[in-house]
Amino acid sequence: MTTAELIAPAARRPVTSQHLWGRVGIYAFLFAMALFFLLPLYVMLVTSLKTMDEIRLGQIFALPAQITFEPWVTAWSSACTGLDCTGLRVGFWNSVEILVPSVVLSILLGALNGYALSFWKVRGANVLFACLLLGAFMPYQVFIYPLVRFYAQIGIYGSLPGIVLTHVIFGMPVMTLLFRNYYSALPSELFKAARIDGAGFWAIFISIVLPMSVPITIVAVIMQVTAIWNDFLLGLVFAGRENLPMTVQLNNIVNTTTGERAYNVNMAATILTSLVPLAVYLASGRWFVRGIASGAVKG
Amino acid sequence: MFYKKNLLAQTATVLAAGAGMAQAQEAEVIHWWTSGGESAAISVLADAFEERGGTWVDSAVAGGSAARSAAINRIIGGDPSTAALFNTSQQYHEIIGEGLLNDINDVAMRNDWDNVLPAPIVEAIKVDGKYYAAPVNIHMPLWIWYSMDAMEQAGIDTPPTTMEEFFTALDALEEAGITPLALGGQRWQENLLFSAVMTNVGGRDLWTSVYGEKDEAAINSPEFREVIETFIRLKAYVDDASPGRNWNDATAMLINDSAGFQIMGDWAKGEFKQAEQEVGVDYGCLAGLRPDAPYVLGGDVFVFPATDDPARIEAQNMLVETMTAPDVQVAFNNLKGSIPIRSDVDVAGLDECAALGMEIMSDASRQAPDAAQMMDEYVYGSVQDVVTELWNTDMSVDDAVERFDSALRN
Amino acid sequence: MQISRNVRHVRRNGVAYMALLPMAAIVIFAYLGTMAWSVRLSFSSSRMLPKDDFVGFDQYVELFQTSRWLTSLENFVFIAVFFLSICFVLGMLLAIFIDQNVRAEGLFRTAFLYPYAMSFVVTGLMWQWILNPDLGLQQTMRDLGFSGFVLDWVVDSDTVLYAIVLATVWHGAGLVMALILAGLRGIDMDLWKATRIDGIPAWRVYGFIILPMLRPMIITSLVLLSISIVKMYDLVVAMTNGGPGTASEVPAKFIMDNLFERANIGLATAASTVMLVTVLIIIAPVLYSQYFGKKGASA
Repeated sequence: MTTAELIAPAARRPVTSQHLWGRVGIYAFLFAMALFFLLPLYVMLVTSLKTMDEIRLGQIFALPAQITFEPWVTAWSSACTGLDCTGLRVGFWNSVEILVPSVVLSILLGALNGYALSFWKVRGANVLFACLLLGAFMPYQVFIYPLVRFYAQIGIYGSLPGIVLTHVIFGMPVMTLLFRNYYSALPSELFKAARIDGAGFWAIFISIVLPMSVPITIVAVIMQVTAIWNDFLLGLVFAGRENLPMTVQLNNIVNTTTGERAYNVNMAATILTSLVPLAVYLASGRWFVRGIASGAVKG
Repeated sequence: MFYKKNLLAQTATVLAAGAGMAQAQEAEVIHWWTSGGESAAISVLADAFEERGGTWVDSAVAGGSAARSAAINRIIGGDPSTAALFNTSQQYHEIIGEGLLNDINDVAMRNDWDNVLPAPIVEAIKVDGKYYAAPVNIHMPLWIWYSMDAMEQAGIDTPPTTMEEFFTALDALEEAGITPLALGGQRWQENLLFSAVMTNVGGRDLWTSVYGEKDEAAINSPEFREVIETFIRLKAYVDDASPGRNWNDATAMLINDSAGFQIMGDWAKGEFKQAEQEVGVDYGCLAGLRPDAPYVLGGDVFVFPATDDPARIEAQNMLVETMTAPDVQVAFNNLKGSIPIRSDVDVAGLDECAALGMEIMSDASRQAPDAAQMMDEYVYGSVQDVVTELWNTDMSVDDAVERFDSALRN
Repeated sequence: MQISRNVRHVRRNGVAYMALLPMAAIVIFAYLGTMAWSVRLSFSSSRMLPKDDFVGFDQYVELFQTSRWLTSLENFVFIAVFFLSICFVLGMLLAIFIDQNVRAEGLFRTAFLYPYAMSFVVTGLMWQWILNPDLGLQQTMRDLGFSGFVLDWVVDSDTVLYAIVLATVWHGAGLVMALILAGLRGIDMDLWKATRIDGIPAWRVYGFIILPMLRPMIITSLVLLSISIVKMYDLVVAMTNGGPGTASEVPAKFIMDNLFERANIGLATAASTVMLVTVLIIIAPVLYSQYFGKKGASA
């Protein structure tokens, strides 16, 4: 089966019941599940639009009696962490600065690795890949201490290059896996033909393989944006004071230890922090399904 | 980047030395005081430092262990902050051993710390004859708070003065339909409760012989068994929704009179103050349930990562001077809810509970070190695990004694 | 011209070797190096800082006498089994139902998939809130008049793991749905027609014909979900912090706590070594057969 077929729009199949009751059942199930999945988002959203007086009443599922955008403004521009009352906006830009190079580099490397692993005979490459996959299952915590020492020695500890390298390192297993699987499903005739024509490693990569990588690249972008944007631990440890990502600030705002919890501000801050990956999903959810199909067909 | 920073620092040093005069001192401080009252308190320190001509660079990381890891990682990574917050404990003793902290002995000697600081605090910050940390406050973690209104509703006229009276009060509250004991079911809060039971049932001797000396006989003594039994007895007085509750949400239960007592450090005062409650009118505080109840001295200290840079050392010394100055101490501790580290300050500005604390603390026989100070962190960690399991499972007293024994004496 | 072809071949492959250098460096330094380092430390008496001494298996003996570690392991098995199986079944059902020519398919798909974009911290916080007996569903139902309604999973030692599983399923089921859906879309229309003509009941078609065909999708989703389950830390911290008592402790949290909060590097590295070996034993054969064994699974 070819990739082209897979990413083609769904053709329709009616296998189960066409009966009215069957249809009702299908919709009932889907609605119930949608309710379950949307419930937390709903709660966050309505809470972020309520005043603290209303929140104290304790009805977390009720719609706000009086909509206020104050919590959103506070969360974005004036919520305090320590002495610093600038809200999440600084962290937002820090996160962007970390995100862009990390995503680009990790995907490029993943594609390159996948390509070299699938089309070229490199001795020992599969052993490396196996080690990489195993590494993906190790808790991050194990890596932190030696990496801190190592970064300190090469002088990138607590800097933007440091955190970017960290994301490249931890993103490599899944990125390599995705591209390797995708490329091994591509017809090898193309590759062979190019080699007979005398095209070299980079020429084939750039002019033949990369242009065919769009579906899986979309999947990779979605996964990396999500993982890197949502990271807290690595950012806290490796990014350094100047580059702390948004999630660290979110933690500072949400986990204050005294006083009444400003639930509305917390919820607004939480949604704001999740906006980027959410937007990426909403914009490209359908490509995700198609892209991942093309990458997962062959093992 | 690290390299560049170093180069800049060196240049600055050379310049400063050449000019032969003090530059404006820049100090980066890592701490975890991110919430309302805490931020207000740390800004007292920051303002005082800037008034003396320094520049305060604030690095707040929410959560004590996250902030401490960040500080340690930066020390290991060769890019340390000027100062970092720790608890009065053994948390920083190993990094002293590795030579990663600067001592602040000069300032300490100049200010006669040997005599103005309480002995348990001196013990925590003095290693091999040198001072390595600047204490900024004394927290008594085992205050017993109560809601006046709840007491009234339950018909309790006078606050309890013994453990038995305490249980009588709990029963009365229960009968009046009020949650007798407000507790947040988190590991550290359950441990505060256990410590309170230990100090009030077993007294200072048991406290120091079990947690301090890890004495086998004391751990297996009938007194310690009584501590465990009393702790188990308290389970019945806590509501079902307790697990995972934050400590300030538990305090809020006293504020809105839906619970009677809470055992919590003096930082709880901040919550009452924020809710505009008044001590003696809306809420009360008890330092213990026996006349000789030990006053456990916890608190916070700043440590100063090692550096050769004279400008930085200068900044570190200036920080120490600033933080421990009497006027700064009073202003800071009023906001933090704790009491000043030195006995030679003016107590007029302190509230009723803090004044009571200062008075008790002046009696050296009631001073007792905090649990975290008497044990290595990993030992204290295992002890905390035993306590939280004891609270949340049906562990028998015999099992508990055995578990404490193996955790403490390992 | 045999010789010049060989030379050219070597030169071409040389580029492939070069291209894999970054990956080799990362695998060797960041993965193998740190793993070796942490295995080494697990045989030392290190507490807050690494030490060079050698104490044999002392840390391992201590580890397996620590009841919290044993609880963590049990919880890990429980969560892994239930999370993977429920995620899988639910994801499968969602995909099959969505695949029945439903209207607003895109909306349903987005609703099921968006949780995957949320960070574990946010997921944990939200569910902790919704399941909190004082604030959440339980209170709301009681306010509506169902006074006997009980939903206190997070505060009960016996049920807290259900709450964790619930939150993780909410987070991960959409991914399975997306993968399976992609797989279903790739199945040949003729197959459906044939089964219809033969009059085979729908559940048998899915269970015995479709499922085996989706093997690569299933493996991919299991690999991705397993990676997240081994690393699970943030979600537990945000939701229960391991409580009540030690009822919801997990291995990654045990490692993290001992590494930092308790300054017990020796014990933490022993625990991570145990995890590494466990992963090796369980995952390695799966990965091997899927990615390195004979090609030619059903797809």
